[in-house]
Amino acid sequence: MRNRIILLLLFILVPSMPGFAADPDAKSLVADSFNYMRGRASISTVDMTVHRPDWERVTTIKAWTIGEKTSLFLIVAPPKDKGNGTLKKGRYMWTYNPKVNRAIKLPPSMMSQAWQGSDFSNNDLAKSDTLINDFTHYIEGTTIADGKKVYIIKSIPKPDAPVVWGMLKLKIRQDLILLEESFFDEDFKLVKTLTTREIKLTGGRLYPVKWKMQKAGAKDEYTRLAYRSIVFKETLPQQLFSLSNLKNAGR
Amino acid sequence: MYSQLAWRNIWRNPRRTIVIMTAVIIGVFSMIFLCGLMRGMEVEMIRNNLATLTGNIQIHQKGYRADPVVENSMTDPVLLENAIKTNLPEGAAWAMRVRVNAIVSNARHSTGVTFVGIDPAKEARVSFIGKAVTDGRYLNSDDTNKILIGRALLDKFKTKIGHKLIVMSQDADDEIASTAFRIVGTFRAEMESTEKAYVFVTLSDAQKMLKLKNGISEAAIAFKGQSIDGQKEKALAQKLKSRLPDSIYKVETWPELLPMMREYLSLFDNFIYIWYFVVFIAMGFGIVNTTLMAIFERMREFGLLKALGMKPVSIIRGVITESFFLLVSGIIIGNIAGIITVFLINRTGIDLSALAAGVEMWGMPRVIHPELWIIDVITANLVVLVLGLVVSIYPAAKAARFTPIEALEKT
Repeated sequence: MRNRIILLLLFILVPSMPGFAADPDAKSLVADSFNYMRGRASISTVDMTVHRPDWERVTTIKAWTIGEKTSLFLIVAPPKDKGNGTLKKGRYMWTYNPKVNRAIKLPPSMMSQAWQGSDFSNNDLAKSDTLINDFTHYIEGTTIADGKKVYIIKSIPKPDAPVVWGMLKLKIRQDLILLEESFFDEDFKLVKTLTTREIKLTGGRLYPVKWKMQKAGAKDEYTRLAYRSIVFKETLPQQLFSLSNLKNAGR
Repeated sequence: MYSQLAWRNIWRNPRRTIVIMTAVIIGVFSMIFLCGLMRGMEVEMIRNNLATLTGNIQIHQKGYRADPVVENSMTDPVLLENAIKTNLPEGAAWAMRVRVNAIVSNARHSTGVTFVGIDPAKEARVSFIGKAVTDGRYLNSDDTNKILIGRALLDKFKTKIGHKLIVMSQDADDEIASTAFRIVGTFRAEMESTEKAYVFVTLSDAQKMLKLKNGISEAAIAFKGQSIDGQKEKALAQKLKSRLPDSIYKVETWPELLPMMREYLSLFDNFIYIWYFVVFIAMGFGIVNTTLMAIFERMREFGLLKALGMKPVSIIRGVITESFFLLVSGIIIGNIAGIITVFLINRTGIDLSALAAGVEMWGMPRVIHPELWIIDVITANLVVLVLGLVVSIYPAAKAARFTPIEALEKT
């Protein structure tokens, strides 16, 4: 009898608790958005601007990606950095530096370091796929931007998930375009924010061509990505993503 | 007759005698005191270093020490366990550990550390960590995904107890393993670098994360009364070596595990002898100078003795006996002063916290408790006495060479 009362109470209470009221769509919305933003496969050329209080550097990168697991980045300009590249396959990453003529598999110690001196860490590149599975996503609310509905999604890491963030906040537009991604630490203080702008029809779909990763509390420290071109494909040949291409494509 | 004469002679001019005796006293005192300080420091350094996850003896897979990676861990520690258990002396403790290099990170910071998986109950008896937890709590053997970190690391990461740390390292399958741990407590260590260098989790957590199954990186044995030359350790290591196949296991005592420490100790030893030498040179010149002065002052006396028919050898003997009495009285007072000082300071210790940053480099303790070793005291006394007598041969010979004529000329 007592058990039944408890059960009954549970039935009444549970749906009203915010934690349990997860929108079943939140996870698929995030997954769909990430798939949309990445495409099945893509070839792109990006200008990456790393801005610091006393200097700024622009690098041009050519990138090939398949899904979220496989990618190849090559620096094509400026001439000083030309030939540097990063190959990612699954959880592994290699970097290549023409000056030492050697492809180095990144040890765990380097995974959390900045990629090519930017505000993106190697982990941001290598483990981006964990976002979908290591977090529990909730739709927190909606707003309207440019006449379209925008979902505000709060993502809390699962208790034992190996992620450093305490919380993520995503703004995803109705048509799956990611507008903003904020990274919070465990005290829910903002660490950095990724924002996208200038949504244009490029490579056959609507796509933001300006991305900016901004460190919280440091106005002069950010990394901006500006897409020169992006083409989405159904797939790319796997043999493109080989160590020899990492070494040779830049030459 | 010689001794009576000599004793009376040295007190004929008490001021001069006291001056030279003071030189001897200060010399002997400084030798004993400095030696006590050094020995106290040495003993404390060894204790510190051994407690910082060294232990008196360690056993590794062959090759682990050259390349401390998961591949070089001992996959089946049963044989090792038996060998240690049967040979463990009374009062000794031992523990198994997993120890690899890893990266810990949170949202803002990341750093390289030594990631140590421990058996909490056993480890507490082997290394410092059992008594070092100041905030939060120590690990329990049934904890899962709990981590104990140093206070300095906690401050550096600006995090707090209960928060998450992500540990990344290479596992046994060559993959990058990353696991989230929650901080349960912080420890303090003698040195800040230790607080930053080590993080502790339970042995089973570490084995699970690194896919080691039952594998361990090292076994450490600790017992009280480590010897400064490592002789006690050697005996036990020999016994263990006979039980464990040479091709797989490597048994090492702490002087082998800490070669830098060993060299540093021998440098210390030599430094003590150099100090003895320097003090003696200063003292020796004092002795020669004052004795010579006394000799020239007493020229008439020696001339008279000569005229009365005393042999030069007897004059030499007389002067040296005087020196002997001087030295012995100085040594006795110096020893008493030195030993009392060391004894008094030993209780409270000398606090070097103000210089902590400087002394940390060598793993020196913040508080030094000077210690007396019989051998050092004997050496100091012998050095002063023997060399003191040797240098006074010169003035003695000078005195023996005076002729009655010369003595008459110099009134």
